[in-house]
Amino acid sequence: MAEATHHNSGHHSNTVRLLGRKITVEGGIYTVVFGALALLTVIEVLSAEFLKGAIHDAPSAAATLQAIKAIVLLGIAIIKSSLVIWFYMHLREEKPLIAVVILLPLLVATLSIMFLLAIPPLGYTL
Amino acid sequence: MAELTADSLHAVATHDDHGHISEDEHNSNMKLGLWLYLASEIVIFSIMIVGYIIFRINEEDIVAQAHDELGVALVTANTFVLLASSFFMVMGLRAMQQGNRSGMLRWIGLTALGGIVFLGGQYIEYSELAHLGIVLGFDDASAWSTFGMRFYAPTFFHGAHVFVGVLWALEVMRRGAKGRYDNNPIGIEMFGLYWHFVDVVWIMLFTLIYLV
Repeated sequence: MAEATHHNSGHHSNTVRLLGRKITVEGGIYTVVFGALALLTVIEVLSAEFLKGAIHDAPSAAATLQAIKAIVLLGIAIIKSSLVIWFYMHLREEKPLIAVVILLPLLVATLSIMFLLAIPPLGYTL
Repeated sequence: MAELTADSLHAVATHDDHGHISEDEHNSNMKLGLWLYLASEIVIFSIMIVGYIIFRINEEDIVAQAHDELGVALVTANTFVLLASSFFMVMGLRAMQQGNRSGMLRWIGLTALGGIVFLGGQYIEYSELAHLGIVLGFDDASAWSTFGMRFYAPTFFHGAHVFVGVLWALEVMRRGAKGRYDNNPIGIEMFGLYWHFVDVVWIMLFTLIYLV
């Protein structure tokens, strides 16, 4: 697309600065973000399979490994989600109000989940 | 003649003589409305996710067995398709913002195609799971049925969002072909927000349900 080269500012630029180096690619930051999402997904799946094998091989450390697995995988998922929201949904260009609108229900949902998780499986007994 | 001040100039810039708001303000309001809608969706999906998480913690053996049966090959491929469709979507908006209508139609078409392929993958997965006996099972409380309930509720609800998104993409293409977004691509941006949100939800579901 020839016109893309005419726009060299903001999110229309095909040139992106990454780790101190300038990279020129069709789609600019959007393509770089897609590459990051794909790479993170591969890392996520490989990590899950590796840790699944480790849990199988060392049942005595299963609880610890399962906790590590959950933290690592959820951490990657949160990074991927943040990339989509920040760049593809253009949150970085929006007013702070939009960030509040999206963060508030996330906060409420997280607190609710933590509260629900604190309830024992079979309920409290007197 | 009224004295011109910064405030009165701002008023002229945002409202015409009939009290209509400016295009920028209209776009801003539209986006805020959609973000609020997405905020409500977060709460709905959270309820389903927490239901799954509690089941996941209490029934580790059932979930481990289900993971073995499910595998990750098909769902990983499906995840790549949805991530790619999100990229196509943002490229479609970018094309329209650059005045490239045909480019926009091409990218949004690819977005819709990505959604259709994803739904096809989900259909294949559901068929395999049904074959294994993982069903909703309203009338029995077997291990597979209890897992099926927690599994199908969020994934099917998400699939329904993808289906709506595909229809929306086709409507955006229809309107776009008529030049509706040539001067103001807010309609494409609105659809983009929805589609990316659906992608974000899948990123979380993929990790929580299939990997953790």
